[in-house]
Amino acid sequence: MNEPTVFIVDDDQAVARSLRWLIESVRLRVENFGSAQAFIDGYDAARPGCLVLDVRMPGMSGLELQERLAAQRIHIPIIFITGHGDVQMAVRAVQAGAFDFVEKPFNDQDLLDRIQRAITRDAEWRDRDLQQARLRALFATLTPRETEVLELVVEGLSNKAVANALGLSAKTVEVHRAKVMEKMHARSLSDLVKMAMQRQG
Amino acid sequence: MNAADMLPASDTLWLALVVLGGSLAASLIFLGVLLGRLRETERRLDEKESRHETVLDRLQENEFRLRTIIESEPECVKLQAEDGTVLEINPAGLRLVDANQPADIIGRKIFSVVAPEYFDIYRENMRRVFAGEAVVYEFRAITLKNRVAWMETHAAPLRDARGNIYALLGITRDITEHKQAEEQARRHHTELARVARLSTMGEMATGIAHELNQPLSAIANFSRGCIRRLRAGGMSPQELIVPLEEVCEQAERAGDILRHVRDFVRKREPRLKSLDINQIVRAVVKFTEHEARHQCTHVRLNLDPLLPKVAADAIMIEQVIVNLVRNAIEAMTEVVPSRREIVIQTRLFDSDSVEVEVADTGPGIDGNLIDQVFDQFFTTKPEGVGMGLAISRSIIESHGGKIRAESSRDGGAILRFTLKISAQQSHRRERADSIHS
Ligand SMILES: Nc1ncnc2c1ncn2[C@@H]1O[C@H](COP(=O)(O)OP(=O)(O)O)[C@@H](O)[C@H]1O
Ligand SMILES: [Mg+2]
Repeated sequence: MNEPTVFIVDDDQAVARSLRWLIESVRLRVENFGSAQAFIDGYDAARPGCLVLDVRMPGMSGLELQERLAAQRIHIPIIFITGHGDVQMAVRAVQAGAFDFVEKPFNDQDLLDRIQRAITRDAEWRDRDLQQARLRALFATLTPRETEVLELVVEGLSNKAVANALGLSAKTVEVHRAKVMEKMHARSLSDLVKMAMQRQG
Repeated sequence: MNAADMLPASDTLWLALVVLGGSLAASLIFLGVLLGRLRETERRLDEKESRHETVLDRLQENEFRLRTIIESEPECVKLQAEDGTVLEINPAGLRLVDANQPADIIGRKIFSVVAPEYFDIYRENMRRVFAGEAVVYEFRAITLKNRVAWMETHAAPLRDARGNIYALLGITRDITEHKQAEEQARRHHTELARVARLSTMGEMATGIAHELNQPLSAIANFSRGCIRRLRAGGMSPQELIVPLEEVCEQAERAGDILRHVRDFVRKREPRLKSLDINQIVRAVVKFTEHEARHQCTHVRLNLDPLLPKVAADAIMIEQVIVNLVRNAIEAMTEVVPSRREIVIQTRLFDSDSVEVEVADTGPGIDGNLIDQVFDQFFTTKPEGVGMGLAISRSIIESHGGKIRAESSRDGGAILRFTLKISAQQSHRRERADSIHS
């Protein structure tokens, strides 16, 4: 399940099969979809990998599929395959956030390199998403008071200043602060600051 | 005769006829109404049996005068009853239906000179006239001498003093020539559109390129996948059979696409006729006038008026010249407008051919591209198709001529092609030569 998969969406069955044969030669998993709709219906967003998409397709075009995925906040990297003279379309696709495009006829190594990069990028994105989800979970364990203390501490206020600001004793602030560090699994103040920033980012 | 020469002229002619016809019809209807009134008065006088000789005489005299006007009218004027019986017809009308004397047609149904497929249309128009409308309609006529002609009739109701419609007044003219011209223009246009479709195949060429790209990329992918596996080793030969079969299938698919394209652009055999090349050039200049003017391009003609006729398919040659002129216009978009000029020349090339030259003041053609410009899909333009010159060459070669490109000393491009002098013409020349010798 965690092994990356290259999802190919191309209405031309022969081209799709040939891409699969080529991409499988570098031991990547490949799955083919005959239309944009088939992909939307069959794709589970939890599956990592990248999408290789023909710009021109009858029915829902590659660009439309890209829009649909963006609307559903599915961020799998997309490599568009464009035909002769579709450069404008490719530019539009990249402006709309496509990861990359290759123009037919393409060099096989070039395509495979781009696919590797896309898969790496996808892994990074997923990693970041995971981190953020984990952080959100940790933050959720803090009490309101602890959250208040945390906000001020990461702004660089001393325990004393925090105590003044919140109308608490320095001692109490110290206890809250230790609790926050523990709950957030933070080893240092700078760890905590990083986490607070990531949560916002 | 070609569409460009013909269409505008016939359009104006047409307009003139309609305007003339309209006013003529109006005046004749007026006369007709007068005639009706006179008749009515006459009838009433008869009824009363009061014989005011003088009045009647005057009326008859008036009617006679009106009759003279109608009689001398150069267009066919006739009166018809509701059932289509011809009541009166003037001499011009008799000529139109090839009648020798009035009795040939008066008292007979008008349908005896209308082509059967127009009976319904004719009846419907008669019905409308007797319902009070003025109408214009066309129909095919078969005259008393079985001559087929196209006619146009302006018809209006004639009313008596009480306002009852008692006859149809029709003015009819022969529009056969106009019809034929129209038909010829129409045919010329469809032909031209067909050839134009071939040469301005922008859409199609992109489509073909895309189509061909599919099997070609599939072939490349399958083969690359095989090579990679072979390089990596540990591969049984059997495993390569399926992808290699795919390669063969895709190669066949590419072949099918090409066959299809070839069928599509298949050059029909040119229908050679003896033509005045200068006239063709002038026609093309008309076709492209709008485009040229739009691009501030001046087109100058330098045509040898004494050229013999060439053996050519007019539409195809027009298409070639259109392509050359269009390329010239497109080549000069970077040139300052005041220096954009196209010169088209015609001249005798040798004893059996004539040459047409299209020269421009654009940047010319790069020396090492000169051999490629006639290749299919060769283009240096972002929106280019690269079929214009390729098709032009195939057309010229199918005519037994040659087409060449070169750059002139002062920069612009010169495209020249030759066409064979038509056989009849060279024959005549030979005869002329032998007489002289
Ligand atoms: N008059 C000209 N001046 C300069 N280059 C020309 C001219 N005519 C043709 N060419 C060159 O030949 C190429 C092929 O012309 P053509 O077959 O008509 O295709 P297209 O016009 O679609 O490019 C052009 O792209 C251009 O590079
Ligand atoms: Mg051209």
